[in-house]
Amino acid sequence: MYWVSVFTEAGIFAILALGLDMVWGWGGDFDLAFYGYLALGSYMTFVLTIGKPTPPVKYIIGWHLPVVVAMLVAVVVVVALAAVIGSIALRNLREIYFAVTTLGAVSALYVLVENYTPLFDGYNGVYGLINPGQTTLRLTYNGYRIVLLGVVLFILFLAYLLVQRLSRSPYGRMLRAVREDERAAAAYGRKVFLAKYRSYLFGAALAGLAGGLFAIFISAFNPSAWTPQELLVIYAAILVGGRGNPRGVIVGVFVVYVGLIELTRFLPSPASRPDFSPALRQVLIGLMIILVLKFRPAGIFRERPGRDEPSRPTRPLARPFRARVVAAASGATVLPGGRLGSESAGLPARARHDGAPDEGAAP
Amino acid sequence: MTEALLEISELSKSFGGVRAVSGCTFAVPEGQVVGLIGPNGAGKSTVVDLVSGFGRPDSGTITFAGQTLVGKPPDVISRLGLIRTFQTPREWRNLTVMDNVMLARRNFGNEGLWRCMTRARTIRRQEESDRAAVREILDRFQLTELKNELAVRLSGGQKRLLEFARIAAAEPRLIILDEPMGGVNPVLGARIGEAVGQFARDGRTVIVVEHNLPFIEKTCDQVVVMDLGEVIAQGPFAGLRDNPRVVDAYLGMDLGHG
Repeated sequence: MYWVSVFTEAGIFAILALGLDMVWGWGGDFDLAFYGYLALGSYMTFVLTIGKPTPPVKYIIGWHLPVVVAMLVAVVVVVALAAVIGSIALRNLREIYFAVTTLGAVSALYVLVENYTPLFDGYNGVYGLINPGQTTLRLTYNGYRIVLLGVVLFILFLAYLLVQRLSRSPYGRMLRAVREDERAAAAYGRKVFLAKYRSYLFGAALAGLAGGLFAIFISAFNPSAWTPQELLVIYAAILVGGRGNPRGVIVGVFVVYVGLIELTRFLPSPASRPDFSPALRQVLIGLMIILVLKFRPAGIFRERPGRDEPSRPTRPLARPFRARVVAAASGATVLPGGRLGSESAGLPARARHDGAPDEGAAP
Repeated sequence: MTEALLEISELSKSFGGVRAVSGCTFAVPEGQVVGLIGPNGAGKSTVVDLVSGFGRPDSGTITFAGQTLVGKPPDVISRLGLIRTFQTPREWRNLTVMDNVMLARRNFGNEGLWRCMTRARTIRRQEESDRAAVREILDRFQLTELKNELAVRLSGGQKRLLEFARIAAAEPRLIILDEPMGGVNPVLGARIGEAVGQFARDGRTVIVVEHNLPFIEKTCDQVVVMDLGEVIAQGPFAGLRDNPRVVDAYLGMDLGHG
C-alpha cells in the first residue's frame, strides 16, 4: 500500500507539472505561484464537500457537493485567481521580476490563509474528506486507495494526451516562438500577452485539478502542507525529465519522487540525527540538478523541435493543385508541369555555403 | 508617382533630453524600394520602431494604407501587412528553420488554444498546404537542407537568409529592413540585393535602412536622408551628390563610392 500511495502522489504532482511546464517550459516564465493554485484547488474541494463547520472550527461555504462537482468548481476558482495574478504578472514582467511577483502574490495568500481563520481555519486547516464515495462503490479502504491511484493515473494520461496535442500544435509552436523572442513574435503579429496568458490559465486549471485530487488523497490540508519550496522540487523534476517535453515532464516527476525521495527512506538514519534522511534528500536533488545540467542539459527527453518529415527532395515533381496556387501567390513562378523554377527568386544558383560567416566585409 | 502607402508627418520622439526624431516627414509610394540613410544617431532606427509600434511617438502622425498607426501595438500593425526586421537577425533560436518560416506564414486562425485541442486533424491537414509553400520558399533561399536544424545552429549569413525567407513567407505589403547588410559578405550581399529586387517585382513596398551606399544606389528607387532627427533630403540617389546638406551630414564622404 505504501507504493500505491507514493505513485498516487507522484501522479498528482505530474498533473501539476504538466501545467507548470506549459508556463515555464513552453512560455519561458518561471512562475512561483503554482503551488498556491494547487493549495487553493485543495481548499476549495474541501469546503465544497465536507459540510458546515462545527465550532470552533471555521471555514467558508461548507457545502455538501459531490466531490467531482466540487473539483470542477475548485478548478474554476483557481483559474479565476490565476486570471488576476497572470493579468498583472504576465503583462510586462519577465524573468526574475515575474518570479518575484508571482512568489509575492502567493506568499500574501499564504499569510492570509494562515492568519484569517474564517477563510480555511488558519493553521489548523481543513479536514474530513475521507475516501469520498467509498461506501457507494463498496470498496475496502485499500481497494479504494488502489482505485484512486487508477483514477489519478487515468486523469494524468488524459492530461498528457491533451498537453501533448497542444505541444505539437500551432499553438505550442507560437508560444515557443514567444519564449524565444518576444519582439520578433510581435513583429510577426503575435499577441504576446494573450499567448502567455492562455497557457497560464490552462496550466492553472491543471494545478487546480491536481489540488482537487490532492484533497482526496491526503484528506486534510493546512498551510504547512504547501510552501513554495515544494514547487522547487517540481521544477527540479521538470528539469531532469526534459523542459518543454510533456513525456519528459512526467518521467521526471516519477524519477524525482519515486526514485529519489522515496528510495532515500531506506537509507540508515542515525538515531542521533533523525533529520539526516530528509536533509540528504535535498542534497541529492541538488546534486541531480547539477549532474543533469552538466551532462544532459535538455533533460532525459529533450524538447521535440518541429521537424518536416520525411525529408523530401527539394523539388518534388507532382504537387497538389492547392499547393501550387499557394506557391504562386508566394512569389515563385510555376513552370509548365507544376515545377517551380528555382531561378524564380532571381538568386544565383551558387553554393549553399557562401551564406557564410559574418567576417566577410561589406563592400 | 503612385499613391503613398506610408505617410509620416511631423514625427517627433525624445528619450530623456535627447531628441531622437524631430519633425520627421516623408512619404513612401506603393511599390517602390526606398532607402533610408543618414549618419549614426540620425534617428533612422527610431523611426522604424515608431512605425512598427515598438515605440510611441511624442507627436506626429503615421498613416499606413489609410490607417493611422500611432497607438497601435506591434502585433496589430504587423497584421495590417507590415513586417520589419531588426538590426541583428532575430530568429526563434530553439525552433527549427522549418518552424521559423511556418510561423512567418502567420496562420493565426489555427493558433487558438481551444481549436488546437479540438480540431487537431483539420489543422494538420490545413498546415500541409502551408508546409508546401514553405518548402518552396526554403528552396529559394537555399535553406532546404537545413530545414530541420535549430535556427540557433545557423551561421550569421544563413540567419540573414532565414530572415528573408520569413519575410517571403509572411507576404507583407510593406517591408522595413533595418540594416540588412550589416556584417554580410559580398556574395551574400548580392543575394540579399536580388531578394529585395524580387520583393519589389512581387509588388511589395520596401524601406531599407542601410549604411552601405552602393547597395542603396543599386536597389532603391529613391532615398530619404535623415540627420539629427529630421529629413534633410528625399529623391533619387543620383541627385543627392550635389546636395550640400547631404554631403555635409556625411562629413564629405564621397557618395559615389561609399
